[in-house]
Amino acid sequence: MRKPFTPICCNCLKIIRLGVLLLSFFLISACAGPEVAGPQGSVFFPPAPNPPRLQYLTRISSSADIDGKKLGGLSIIAVGDTRAEKPKPIIKPYGITVRNGKLYVCDTSPGRLVVIDPARKSFEFLKGNYSFGKLKKPISSEIDRDGNLYVADTVRKEVLVYGPSGNFLRAFGKGLEMKPVDVAIDGDYLYVLDIKNHDIKILDRKTGKHLDTIGKGSNEEHFLSLPISIDTGPKGSLYVSNMTSGKIVNLDRDGHLLGEFGKLGDGFGQFGRPKGLAVDDQGRIYVVDAAHQNVQIFDKSGRLLMFFGDPGLPFGSLNLPAGIAVTSQGIDLFKEYIDPAFAVEQLIFVTSQFGPAKISVYGLGKLID
Amino acid sequence: MIIWKVIYRLAVYCSLSLIVFSFFTNTAAASCLTGACHQELQSFTRLHEPVAEGECLSCHESVAKEHPLKKGKSFKLVAAGAALCVECHDSFDPNVGKLHPAVADGECLVCHNPHGGNKTGLLRAAGDLKVICFECHNAEPFAQQFVHGPAAAGVCLECHMPHQSKHKNLLISDSKSLCLRCHADLVAGLENSAVIHAPINNSDCSACHEVHGGAFAHLLKADGPKLCFSCHEELADKYKKSKTKHTALYKDDRCGNCHSPHFSEYASLLSELESETCLRCHGKDDFKRSRALRNIRTEIAGKEHLHAPLADGKCSACHDPHGSDFYRLLVNAYPENFYAPYRKGTYAFCLDCHEENLLRFPETSIYTSFRDGKHNLHYTHVADSRKGRTCRACHQAHASNGPKLVNEEGASFGNWRIPLHLELTETGGSCSPGCHRRISYDRENPVTER
Repeated sequence: MRKPFTPICCNCLKIIRLGVLLLSFFLISACAGPEVAGPQGSVFFPPAPNPPRLQYLTRISSSADIDGKKLGGLSIIAVGDTRAEKPKPIIKPYGITVRNGKLYVCDTSPGRLVVIDPARKSFEFLKGNYSFGKLKKPISSEIDRDGNLYVADTVRKEVLVYGPSGNFLRAFGKGLEMKPVDVAIDGDYLYVLDIKNHDIKILDRKTGKHLDTIGKGSNEEHFLSLPISIDTGPKGSLYVSNMTSGKIVNLDRDGHLLGEFGKLGDGFGQFGRPKGLAVDDQGRIYVVDAAHQNVQIFDKSGRLLMFFGDPGLPFGSLNLPAGIAVTSQGIDLFKEYIDPAFAVEQLIFVTSQFGPAKISVYGLGKLID
Repeated sequence: MIIWKVIYRLAVYCSLSLIVFSFFTNTAAASCLTGACHQELQSFTRLHEPVAEGECLSCHESVAKEHPLKKGKSFKLVAAGAALCVECHDSFDPNVGKLHPAVADGECLVCHNPHGGNKTGLLRAAGDLKVICFECHNAEPFAQQFVHGPAAAGVCLECHMPHQSKHKNLLISDSKSLCLRCHADLVAGLENSAVIHAPINNSDCSACHEVHGGAFAHLLKADGPKLCFSCHEELADKYKKSKTKHTALYKDDRCGNCHSPHFSEYASLLSELESETCLRCHGKDDFKRSRALRNIRTEIAGKEHLHAPLADGKCSACHDPHGSDFYRLLVNAYPENFYAPYRKGTYAFCLDCHEENLLRFPETSIYTSFRDGKHNLHYTHVADSRKGRTCRACHQAHASNGPKLVNEEGASFGNWRIPLHLELTETGGSCSPGCHRRISYDRENPVTER
């Protein structure tokens, strides 16, 4: 015979409820373990059956991706490492520069610049970003041979200069009525890309003296047109990406047009909205396209070599990409992500303004024979 | 006693029988050679052993009671073909090496006389063996203009095994070693030289040479350059179609004028260092010709500055010795005339190495230090649309005592050599050539209002 239901007393019910609640917290705390960063398996470009020439390696979105210190998300009850600090995030990155293995990332929304040193596993905000050196909207930066940092700020409409230790030194550009969007350095020349006047201001790197303005070609067709990114190529020539013409223009210091390639369109080698641009030590030109959401690589004659980062992949896709930096230094720092069958010759860092991967790291190279 | 008598009689009968048998057989052989029938068999200086011994019946056997028969034969060989020979001589194992087809077919008598001969091996010919060999082999190569010595002498066995060999064509050893047995003057060079012509290692001498005879000197398989082009195909078109031809390639030893065919201490099998190879012709006075070659050796001797490729001994950096479509066998375009305004491509030869934008822009602060402020004086001189002057108006091509190979002696201008009188300062300089009054230039503080 079935035993009749026995009512539970109120105290017992409270104890059970408390127990369930504690169990729930415990389980939630247990689930909020360390986040898995980096790629799940090797992602190569171009896709098979083409021989792979580029591998997606990892992403950097906060200090946790560099120093490995994670905060236990929803933990209220002390579980795991309670000493961990809250990770420092990258919010909306734009320009990125790499020099001697260190990354300099302009984070536009919070108005700060992140200095990442993978070798030292450090992730720091620029020290001199206060008072006269306070950044309002840093958009891109460059390092000179003395280790000084030059940051283009579109709200201050100046180029701010910081010393090798990160202290603010001086600002250039007051009175030039410009809106600097990118900077490049060759010797003692500081090239400031002015999107407002569609030209390049050449300043003395040390004094900020305005030496010349170039970019207004003899033929209107060759004028810079909403120029957005600049980098130096072989023998000090300049490459500039132009948003409204879709052209990548190659100029010399005197403003002579040495060559150009690209146009607006959605074909191979064409651009929807060209943004960041970088030239590697082999003379290859990497151009970020915010509309196509990819990066196209060209040889020095402007011939398209390949493209990567298009949307739709579980890993390795870009999300409103903006800046790019390329280096052949510090490849070993990313060795753990490189496929054993692949030899990386250049590291490529691309910023995405949205999405979980704020900085996507790729390696250009080839399969090992 | 009876038993002893019987034994004695048997011994006597046996001895008598043997004596009688021996008498009759010797008499038979003696009758073959001494009679009036087969006496010619004794005319050879060397007799086949059974013949010398009178052992005719070791090879022949009687098949009829009478001999000779008027119709038919009364003797036959005791075995056919090689089967008879191998009763005394060693046979050849076909697994050991390739057999001469005559041997494989058991046709020993194609080459040998069975009864005797006048040289070793009872061969059917003495001395010049071609007589025997040509019965089967093609005689045509031996009738060519140039014949290999051993082939001409008919000593085929200096190179070939007659019966069997492990090497191709029944050679007595591998091809290269075989050649070097006689051509011993090449041995040291092939062992010690830095560069060996590829076919010698990859193939053998017959890649380039005929072995018996041919129509071309040195027994080459084809006429000089044509033979070389069979491998060096890329040079064939250049040789035939180049607008400017290198005379050395079309006279005397042609390719061999510069290259050693077998080995060399120098790259590209040149017989000397590259510059020395060139200067062998271009470095001496030639008073025999009305348009003699310039003596470059004299022109560069003792000069303070050599053009960088020449300093490296690399004439081929600028000149293509196999032919070119450009002036003076240059590897790219350069004007032949003294006046030649710069156009894209016209000075490609110089600009392949020197700054490609040197002559492109009238104003520059980058591509030349020969400028007044930004005014590009190279552009002024060379890109002048009416009388653009070629580089040689101011620069020497090979060597000079002046910096930047400036021609201190002056460029040839008809019968005159135009002096330059260049003087340099820290930031510019001046010159008063035969072309204009002294004009100064300064990169930092421009001299001329423009």
